[in-house]
Amino acid sequence: MKISFILAFILLCISIYGISVSKNIIKSIMLYNIIQSSVIIIFLNFGSIGASDIPIISELSENTANMVDPLPQALMITAIVIGAAITALGLMLSIKIFHYYGTLNWKDLIEREG
Amino acid sequence: MIIIYMLQILLIFLSIYIISSKNNLKAIIFFSIFSLVTASLYYFLKAPDLALAEVAIGSAITPLIYIIAISKQREFLVVSHISKRDSFLLNTKDTVGKGYKLLDDFTKHYNLKLVINHGKYDELKGIFRSRNIDLVIEKSKKNGRYILKGKKTSILMNKLAQLTITDDDIEVITIEEGEIYD
Repeated sequence: MKISFILAFILLCISIYGISVSKNIIKSIMLYNIIQSSVIIIFLNFGSIGASDIPIISELSENTANMVDPLPQALMITAIVIGAAITALGLMLSIKIFHYYGTLNWKDLIEREG
Repeated sequence: MIIIYMLQILLIFLSIYIISSKNNLKAIIFFSIFSLVTASLYYFLKAPDLALAEVAIGSAITPLIYIIAISKQREFLVVSHISKRDSFLLNTKDTVGKGYKLLDDFTKHYNLKLVINHGKYDELKGIFRSRNIDLVIEKSKKNGRYILKGKKTSILMNKLAQLTITDDDIEVITIEEGEIYD
């Protein structure tokens, strides 16, 4: 599981770099979503160390000692829904910005605002 | 599990493609693919309920919101208060008006979609009331010049003023936010 942590961390670093170089507001909101899914992967990896079954009691998996921890999953399903709501809010603000300033470029907006 | 590592490497390549793509619509399609790969990764990390939510929300509803937002931004809404028989905004087979040609070239240069509404703005009901207007066209009663009014903060209005600085018939006025157009 150690390689999985490292790969999720690489994904987090790439998307933070992408936010710092991106010129468009829409692209920044998209990269925010990618950061969110990389954090979800890190949390799920924490929960599934040394376990091999899904956390549902059935005929196939009766032994609860082998199940993964269901607490990070319950937290992350809330994070997915809230992420969709924050995306909608950011896109609505970007529509307002475009009709007020006539551009969506970060550089032009900062020059405009002074 | 080797398939978890392979899916995560695929996610890294997809995110690099999203960062380096110039076209926003193409980036949205690849973002949808990114969400599908993430959902299958959740399934292999023993979280099937998260995979279900991610397929529904991440790969269907969120790209829909992005596409709606981009199509709303690509509009240039014009309200004209001059009469319909005036040749300034005319667009038929035989004659193309001077103002229509100017606005058409201007919006095509910036990849916008030109939407023109005739008549009084107060009479427009429903969906048009809540929209943002980019430009208002009037005819001056004193000297017969055409007046284009827009927001002072917009970069597009500055470019339009530079384009029409040599034209005697057209005058561009920029207005602060909070003042009334009419």
